[in-house]
Amino acid sequence: MSTEVMGTVLRAGSAARAGARRVRFEHVVMAGAILSLIILVVLPLLWLFYGSLRGEQGLSLDHFAEVLSGRLYVNALLNSLILGAWTGLFSLLIGLTLAWAVSRTDVPGKKFIQATATLSYLLPPFLTAIAFTYLFSPNAGLMNVLMRDVLGLPWLTFNIFSMTGLVIVTVMHTFPFVYLLASSALQSVDASYEEAAQILGASKLRTAFAITGPLVAPAVLSGTLLAFVNAIALFGSQAIIGLPGRIVTLPTRIYALFDYPPEYGLASALSLVFVLLTVGALYLQRSFLAKRSYVTLGGKGSRPQLMELGIFRWVVFGFAVVIFVIAILAPYATLIAVSFSKSWGLEFWKNLTFANYKFILFEYNVTQRAILNSLFLATIAATLAVFLGVVMGWIDLRTRIPGRKILDYASLIPLGLPGIVVAVALIQFWLAMPIALYGTLTILLLAYVGRYLPLGVRAANASLRQVDPSLEESAQILGASWTTTLREVTLPLIRPGLFAGWLLVFVPVIQELSASILLFSSSSITLAVAVYNLYETGYIEPVAALAMVNMAIIGVAIWLAYRIGGRSVSAREAAPVSN
Amino acid sequence: MAGITIRGLSKNFGANAEVAAVSDINLEIADNSFVTLLGPSGCGKTTTLRLIAGYIVPDEGTIEVDGRTVSSASSVVSPESRGMGMVFQNYAIWPHKNVYENVVFGLKLRKVPAADAKKKVSDALALVNLAGLEQRYPNELSGGQQQRVALARSLVVEPEILLLDEPLSNLDAKLRERMRTELKVLQRRTGITFVYVTHDQAEALALSDRIAVMQLGKVQQFGTPLEVYTRPANRMVADFMGLVNLLPGKVRDVRNGAGTIELAGNLVIEAPALDGAGAGESVEVSIRPENIRLRVPSAATAAQAKITSHVFLGNISEYYAALPSGQVLRVQTHPLERFEVGSDVALEIDAKQCSVFRRGAGSEPS
Repeated sequence: MSTEVMGTVLRAGSAARAGARRVRFEHVVMAGAILSLIILVVLPLLWLFYGSLRGEQGLSLDHFAEVLSGRLYVNALLNSLILGAWTGLFSLLIGLTLAWAVSRTDVPGKKFIQATATLSYLLPPFLTAIAFTYLFSPNAGLMNVLMRDVLGLPWLTFNIFSMTGLVIVTVMHTFPFVYLLASSALQSVDASYEEAAQILGASKLRTAFAITGPLVAPAVLSGTLLAFVNAIALFGSQAIIGLPGRIVTLPTRIYALFDYPPEYGLASALSLVFVLLTVGALYLQRSFLAKRSYVTLGGKGSRPQLMELGIFRWVVFGFAVVIFVIAILAPYATLIAVSFSKSWGLEFWKNLTFANYKFILFEYNVTQRAILNSLFLATIAATLAVFLGVVMGWIDLRTRIPGRKILDYASLIPLGLPGIVVAVALIQFWLAMPIALYGTLTILLLAYVGRYLPLGVRAANASLRQVDPSLEESAQILGASWTTTLREVTLPLIRPGLFAGWLLVFVPVIQELSASILLFSSSSITLAVAVYNLYETGYIEPVAALAMVNMAIIGVAIWLAYRIGGRSVSAREAAPVSN
Repeated sequence: MAGITIRGLSKNFGANAEVAAVSDINLEIADNSFVTLLGPSGCGKTTTLRLIAGYIVPDEGTIEVDGRTVSSASSVVSPESRGMGMVFQNYAIWPHKNVYENVVFGLKLRKVPAADAKKKVSDALALVNLAGLEQRYPNELSGGQQQRVALARSLVVEPEILLLDEPLSNLDAKLRERMRTELKVLQRRTGITFVYVTHDQAEALALSDRIAVMQLGKVQQFGTPLEVYTRPANRMVADFMGLVNLLPGKVRDVRNGAGTIELAGNLVIEAPALDGAGAGESVEVSIRPENIRLRVPSAATAAQAKITSHVFLGNISEYYAALPSGQVLRVQTHPLERFEVGSDVALEIDAKQCSVFRRGAGSEPS
C-alpha cells in the first residue's frame, strides 16, 4: 500500500450535500414503524376509551356505573379474580417446586420435567379444556361414567364444569411462567453466595431462607403475576368449561355483550376494567422483576451443589409425573382416542375409525379454509411483528430520537390487553373508519400483530443488545449505508434471536381464540375458531379430529421452523458478539 | 493527503451521560503525522475521536479535513461519506464473516472489481502478517490476530486518515509492545494520518509525533512527546505523564523568569522557569523520581532525608525518602546503587528538569 495509490476517498462534494438533518431512507422506515404502532395500538385504545364514555346524550360515565354495580358484571369480575388468584397460587406451588427440583436437587428425569413445562406452555389451553370435558363432564364424561356406573364409586366422580375444574385446566397452562422465571433465577444465583453463607456457619435450610429465597423471590413473584394475567385472559377455556357451569368471567361476559344487539358501550367499559386489572398486575410484575437485577450480577460462577433428596427424590419425581399426566398425557391421549372413535364412550376402542378425519378434512367445508387462513395469518403476523420489533428496537437502542423511550413503552402496551379487549377496541375503531375491515382477514391480522408486537419488540431488543454498536459503526466508516449495514452486519448477527421471536409469535397466533372469536367471519375463519364452533355445535368426535389436525399443524410449523432457522445458528455465529 | 483542523469543538451530553463531554478542543493535526489523544478514562478522548469520525454531531466548533468542513453544529458529513478508517477497541470484527469477507467488505462497497479486490486483500493481509488466514473465522483467531484483521480491514480501502480507539488495550503486555512497533512502522510506510486514542502514556510517548494530553474534556497540552514529558504545561499534565513528586514551595527571588525556590524540608532549588510566579508566591514543584540522586551524606552534603522503604523493580530500584517535613519523595536509582532502609541520605535534585506551577493553576477542582 504505497502513498501514490492512496486516492481521494473522501467523496468530493459530499460534505456540502450530506446535512445532518437530511431525510434519509431510514427515517422513512422509522416513521412507518411509529405510524404502525399508532394505528395498531394507540388509536384503537383511544376508541375504546371513547366508546366507554359515549352515552345517549354526549359523554357520560353511565356505562362504568352499570359495569361496576350490575350484578352480572360484578359477578364476572369476582369470578375472574377468584380464577386468577387460585391459578396464581397453584402455578406458584407447582412451578416453584419443579424449578427448585430441577436446578437444586438430584431429582431424576430433569429433561423430562423441563420438557413437561415447555410442552404445557405450548399446548393450546382450549384444546386441553375440550379434552377434559370428554373425561369429566358430569354425565357423559368417561372417567365419571367409569367411577359411577362401572366401579360404583360415585364419590370419586368429578364435575369439570366448576371453578375447580377451570382452575385445574388453567393452571396446567400457566405454571410454566413461574417455572421458567424461577429456574432461570435459581440458575443465575452464583453458588458462591450460598457457599459464603455456609462457611459462616449457616445450615442448608437457613441459607435457602436467608440468601437464596430473597434473591429469587422477585422472579418467582413476577412469574406468579404473569400466570395470573394470562389465566384471566384465556377466553377458550373459560367459555368451554365456565359457561356450562354458569361461571361467567370477564372475557365470556364481554363476549356475551356482542350477542345481538351488541352493547358497545358496556363492552368497552368492562374491557377497560379488565385492562385496569391486567395492567395493575403487570405493573407489579415489572416492579418485582426490576428488583431482580442483583441476581444476574452474580455471573457465571460455579454450579451450586445439588441437594441430595434421598428416597424423597422419587416423591418429587412422582409429583412431576402427575403434572405430566394431567397437563399432557391424559388430555391429549383422550383427544387422540376420541378422534379415532365412532362414538366416544367406555367401549370406544371397539369401533375405531378414520371417518372423523375424513369428515373434517374433506367433507366439512370450513376446515381447509381455516387451515389456510391460520397459516397465512400466522406467517404474516409473525413476520410483521418481528420486522416492526427490529425497527423499534433500533430506534430505542441506536438512535437519540427524543421520545424513543415512550415508543418502547407504547410497544409494550398490548401485554396488558387481553385478546378479547383488543377485539372490542379494533371493532369500534374500524367501524368508525371509512374502510370496511370488519370480518376480513386484515382485521384479524391487525389484531394479531398488535397483540403480539411486544414479543417481536422484546426479541429484537434483546438480540440488538447483544450486538456491540462498534460492529455497525465499523461498517459505516468503511462507507456502508444504513441499509447495507443492516443487511450485511446487523441482520445476520441477530437472525437467530429474531427467528426465536418469530416462532414466539407464530405459535400463539396459530392457536389464537380470544380476539378471533369476535373478529372472524365465515370467510376469514381460523383454525382455533373452527374448533370452538364445531365444539359449540355439539359434534363430539369430529372436534377431536380437528383438534388433532390443529396440533399437527402447530407441531409441523415448529419443526419446520427449527429446521430452517437452526441452520443459521451454527457454532461460529454463536461466538461472543458483544465485548 | 489529509490534515485535520479542529477549532473550538464542544459537545455536551447532559448531566448523567455515559459519554464524556468535551469543550473548546483546538487541534492542528498535520498530514502524515501520528497524533495521540492521551488521557485518563472519562477525559473526552474517545468522544473527540468519534466527533472526528462523524458519529457525533458537535454542539459548537468545526472539524476540517484538508480545508473542507466535515463537521459543524449545523451540518455533519456522515461517517460513511468521510473515507476515513477506524480501528475499534474491541476490534469490531464481524463474527459472521471470515477474515477475507471482513477485509474485502469496504472494497465491495467501493465496487472494486473482484480480481483487484482479491489482490488488495492479500496485500493488506500480508502487510499485517496475516497471509494465509483468509478463511478463518474471528473466533478461530487470537486477540492479536483479530486486532490485525481490524487494521487490515481499515487499511485496505486506503484511507487518508485512520482513527484508532485504544487498539492495543485488550492485548497482553508482550504482544502490545510488538504491535506498537508494527503500528509505528505501518504509519511511516503508508503515510496515513493516524489519530490514536490511548490512556497508556508509555504507548503515547513511544508512538506519537505529537501528543494531545486531555483531561476534564479539554486539551491540556499539545506537543511532542519530549515537550509533554519534560515541560508539562500544568500540574495535571505533569501528574498524568509518568511518576512525579509534587512538593509545595515558595519563590524566594526572581531573575529573568528563573528563580530560587525554597521547598519544604530546607531544600532549595534554582528553577529555570517559574510559571509566572512572583517573589513570595506559593508554588508547586514537580520533580520526576529519575531526576533525584541519592548520596551518602558527607561533610559537604548534609543528610536531608531518611529512606523509609525500598522496592526492587529489576531494571531500576525505587526508594521512598522522607523529608524532615514528613513529605515522602519517590526516587529511582540504578539497581546497583544501594541504600539501607532507615539510613540518612543527601539529595541531589536536577533542578533544570523540574517544573514549577503556581498554586491553584491547572489543578483539579476540589
